[in-house]
Amino acid sequence: MQAGLSTKNAPSPKVVLPHYAYGAFSFLVAAVLFIFSANDLTITTLSPKILSLVHIMVLGWITMVIMGALYQLIPVVMEVKLYNEKLALASFILLALGTPLMVLSFWQSFIAINGLIMIGGTLVILSVILFGINALMSAKRSTVRSIQNRFIVTSIIWFFVAVYFGFSIIVHPQIQQYNTLQIHVSMAVVGWFMQLVVGVSSILMPMFFIAHQLNERHLHRAYWLINGGLILLNISLFFNFASYVNLLATLVILMGFSFFFRYNFEAYRKRLRKSLDVGMKHSVLAFSLLFISLISGLASAASGYLGMMWATKAQLVFGYSLIYGFFSALILGQMYKTLPFIVWLKLYQDKVGKFKTPLPADMHHAKVADAHYWTFLVGFFGGLVGILFSSYYVLVIAGIALFTTALLYAFNNFKILTHRQKLEPIIFPKRKL
Amino acid sequence: MSKINQLTEAEQEILEFIKTIPDPEVGVNIVDLGLIYEVDYETTKKQIYIAMTLSARGCPVGDTILQHVHTVVSNMYPEHEVQVDLVWEPLWTPALITEEGKATLNHSF
Repeated sequence: MQAGLSTKNAPSPKVVLPHYAYGAFSFLVAAVLFIFSANDLTITTLSPKILSLVHIMVLGWITMVIMGALYQLIPVVMEVKLYNEKLALASFILLALGTPLMVLSFWQSFIAINGLIMIGGTLVILSVILFGINALMSAKRSTVRSIQNRFIVTSIIWFFVAVYFGFSIIVHPQIQQYNTLQIHVSMAVVGWFMQLVVGVSSILMPMFFIAHQLNERHLHRAYWLINGGLILLNISLFFNFASYVNLLATLVILMGFSFFFRYNFEAYRKRLRKSLDVGMKHSVLAFSLLFISLISGLASAASGYLGMMWATKAQLVFGYSLIYGFFSALILGQMYKTLPFIVWLKLYQDKVGKFKTPLPADMHHAKVADAHYWTFLVGFFGGLVGILFSSYYVLVIAGIALFTTALLYAFNNFKILTHRQKLEPIIFPKRKL
Repeated sequence: MSKINQLTEAEQEILEFIKTIPDPEVGVNIVDLGLIYEVDYETTKKQIYIAMTLSARGCPVGDTILQHVHTVVSNMYPEHEVQVDLVWEPLWTPALITEEGKATLNHSF
């Protein structure tokens, strides 16, 4: 048998699994914070509660799960072993400690400098540095020179710069006159999260759909447009260029994402696997919700032409639809496409062929997964309506639906993580010849 | 070497045993997915050779599928030397999935 397959390159489950557990817990806590932030979400984009909510969602939920999943996916995408598992574990511990400190500090003292934010921010930066070293060193060892690989490496570079800017804002608040907050957000959202998702999903989606012969030129175009547009946007923001330059840069970025859309839509159209499992249903939903982010992103970039109230709403909808819509739906779905396999490999790798083993798809509760698909839809669209119509009560109801989603998701996460099954040996029929 | 559509009766029996192995991701057996390219049974030398592929290069469970094939065939033919090779030529395409495989694929959820 051949060496070098991704199973042999896969990291120890001890490195990956805590990320999923922590992510599920953060999503649950975030839903509680969402309910308490309902009033703020009707009036503003920036308040202590909203800043806390954004950071537990972005760091504790999205970044945490993405980091864990990436440690598992690096061998798949780059066909190498992860550079160093101890670094990964250290990075997890730092992020797990730093995130609650930051969230607590924002909740209590907004952006004031205090011990909590300094310690929390430093821990998060250290975590990101260790993660970046690990991913970039793995990429250096890889001989795969694919466009997907390039997306991942570039996203990590943006991540470094985004975190650096974020921390600089806390330490030197006076630099905000250079639009550093907007630069921090655009780098984190477009440069890091979105670009990473483009890189990883352009491998995984066709693999799960079973779709072949896709036009990779779409991805190359997407790469140059997204990064070119983002550089232009940041220069324009930093030097305070006229607002039509920001709008132009945003249009270039959106054009880049539209090529990525085309690539995925082609995979969806050419898929051989017509019926979608719960993981892919969530993923298709995530990409559909991205349309809301694209439209509201464009509206946010043109906020200079909108009134104050609508500019605020556009920015809120943009952030909400990305964090609670696209990324959350994608993670909710892709958990079912990654976590069961990690646990399954850990438990059954040496048992296949000797015992009757369950399939990874049998390791979660199917009805619970279906239920949180619907509660998520209610929660997400409720939140959208609540923001658009500034309705406190609708936002509270949405928060309760999102909390239910988080609870059901955490249940299935726990069920998969603690999966145990008594195995019966396979009794083979007698050979005829 | 016996290509998958030119198997002897003994090789066909080996293929039937391999057919009990599902792809853990899609739940369809790996023969109907078109992953098995060759089965060669050398009766006198007591050797069994299997050439197979995977649906994607980075398949996260690829190694386990290969191991599964090796274990099942070795169990059935304990007195034989079993070799399972992973090949990338020709590259797998969905056209290799059998009609039964396509049907199962769309009724597995």
